[in-house]
Amino acid sequence: MAGLSDDPAAAGTSPRTTGTSKVVVDGVSKVYESERQRVEALSDVNFSVSEGEFVCLVGPSGCGKTTLFRTIAGLEAPTGGEIRLDGDPVTGPGTDRGMVFQEYGLFPWRTVRGNVAFGLEEQGVDEPERSRRVDEMLGLVGLEDFADAYPKELSGGMKQRVGIARALAVDPEILLADEPFGSVDAQTRDMLHGELLRIWAETGKTVLFVTHDVEEAVKLADRVVVMAADPGRVREVVAVDIDRPRGRTDPEFGEYVDRVRSLIGE
Amino acid sequence: MSLESGATAEAGTPEARTGDGEGVAAGSLSDLDTTGLAYGAVGSAVFLAIWQAAAMAVGRTYLLPSPVEVATAFVVELTAPTTFTVPFVEISIPATRLVANLLQSLLHYLPGLVVGSVLGISLGVAMGWSGRLDDALTPVTRFLRPIPPLAWIVFAIVWIGIGHGGAAFIVGIGAFWINFYNAYAGVEGVSTHLREVAETLGVDDDLTMIRKVILPAATPSIATGVRTSIGQCWMIVVAAELFGAPGVGFQIINAAQNLATDVSVAYMAVISLVFLVSDGAFRRVERRALAWRD
Repeated sequence: MAGLSDDPAAAGTSPRTTGTSKVVVDGVSKVYESERQRVEALSDVNFSVSEGEFVCLVGPSGCGKTTLFRTIAGLEAPTGGEIRLDGDPVTGPGTDRGMVFQEYGLFPWRTVRGNVAFGLEEQGVDEPERSRRVDEMLGLVGLEDFADAYPKELSGGMKQRVGIARALAVDPEILLADEPFGSVDAQTRDMLHGELLRIWAETGKTVLFVTHDVEEAVKLADRVVVMAADPGRVREVVAVDIDRPRGRTDPEFGEYVDRVRSLIGE
Repeated sequence: MSLESGATAEAGTPEARTGDGEGVAAGSLSDLDTTGLAYGAVGSAVFLAIWQAAAMAVGRTYLLPSPVEVATAFVVELTAPTTFTVPFVEISIPATRLVANLLQSLLHYLPGLVVGSVLGISLGVAMGWSGRLDDALTPVTRFLRPIPPLAWIVFAIVWIGIGHGGAAFIVGIGAFWINFYNAYAGVEGVSTHLREVAETLGVDDDLTMIRKVILPAATPSIATGVRTSIGQCWMIVVAAELFGAPGVGFQIINAAQNLATDVSVAYMAVISLVFLVSDGAFRRVERRALAWRD
C-alpha cells in the first residue's frame, strides 16, 4: 500500500470523492525483454484513484502511459507489482472497466445502437431492458437521432461519443480513456471536454484519463499524475484545486499548466 | 448552450453526407443514362458492325458466324422444344434446348460452387483464426494451390466418372481455393484492436469472438471471394464439359464439331449473360448487406 500512504497529493483529492480507493496501482513494473535488448517501460509505478475521482495521466511519449493503460485494462500483464480494482487484483480484461480508445474501436458493421448494445449482449441483458439501457446511454451522449447510423456516417467527435456510451452501457466501476480526443479537432475537443465532465457529474463514475496534452489534463482532472520516461515512472501527483468549469485564461490555470510542464520537462 | 449548438453543428455533417451518398448514386445513374449509355451504344454498334463486315468478308459461317447468324441460332436454341430429365427423381419436364443445356450446367455448377465455397471459407476462417492450424497446414495449401483445378480431372474421372459429379468436383476445387484465400486474408486482416475492444466488453471465448467480431469483420473479403468464384467457376464449367459432361460448354464444342459455330457462339453468349445476371444480382445483395462499408 506504499502508493497510498506515500502519495504527497492524497490530501488534495476532490471534495466530491469519498476517499475510498477505487483503483490502486501498486509497484507496477513492466519490462519487455528480447534477445538483443531489455526495455523498462514501467518502473515501480504507484498511485491510486479514489471513488468518483477524475484522474489524468500525463507524460511525454515513451513514458509508458499507454502501457500502463493497457495493464489496467487487463490487456497486458505487469512483470512486477499489481493493479487492484476495489481490492481485487486485475488478471484480464473485464466489463468492470469501461474502455474508451483514441481510435474509437467501433464495430463498423454495427449501427450506433448495435455498438452501444454490444457489451450488454455479452452480459446477457435481454430486451426490452437492453433497448432501454441503450436509449439511456444515447441520451446521455446526445446521439438519439443517430441510433441507426453506421460509424462511417459519423464525425470523429460523434464516434467518440458512441465509444463513451458503449463503455458506460455495461455500468463499469471505472471509465478508462486513452487519449480519447486525440483524433478530433480542437473545437470538437473543447466541446467533448464539457460533455465528459457533465457525464462524469451525472454518473458519478471514477475516471482515469490518459493524455499527452497538459492543458487537457489540467482542465479535466482532480489530480494529474505526471509521468517521466526512461524508465516510465511517476514523477509527481499534482492536485488541481480550481473550480470547474476551468478556463485557459484563468491565471491559476496557467500556473498549473506551467508547473506540470516543468515537471515533464517541456 | 455552446455544447448544444456545437453538437447540432457537428451533427449536421453526417446527415448531409448520408444525403450526398444517395445523391451521388442517383447522379452517377443519370450520368450513365445520358452520356455513358450513349457511348456504350455507339461502342456496341461499332463492334457489331465490324464483326458483321468481317463475317461477310470471310463469307463462311463455320469460320466466322455473323452476329445476325448468332442471334438467329440463339433464338432457335431458345425456342426449340426438348425435354429435361430431372436427376434422382427421373421426371421429364418440357424445356427448350437452351434452357435444358443451361440446367445441365447448373446441375454441376451450383453444387460445386456451394460446396467448394463453404469448405473453402470454413478452412480459410479456421486457418486465419488459429496460428497452430495455420502453421500446420500452410505447407500443404501452398503446395496444392498452384495446381489448376482442371488437372484434378484425372481423379474426377477415376473416382466419380465424368458426369455431373465429376464436373462438380472440378468446379468445387476452383471455388474452394478462391474462397479459402479470401476468407483467410479477411480473418487475418481483422485488427487486434477490435478484438481487444470486444474482450473489454466481455467477450471471453473463441466462438463468441469468431461469431461476433471475426466473421462480421471478414465478411467483405469473404464476399469478394464468393463473387470472384461465381465468375471463375463458369470458366471451369466450360473446361470440365470439354471432357464430356453435359451442358452449355459441351454444346459449344459439340456444335463446333458439326461446324455449327453460330450455335457455339450463341452458347458462349449464354455463359456471358448468365454471368452478368448472377454477378449483378450478387453485387446488389452485397451492396445492401454490406452497406456499413466505407
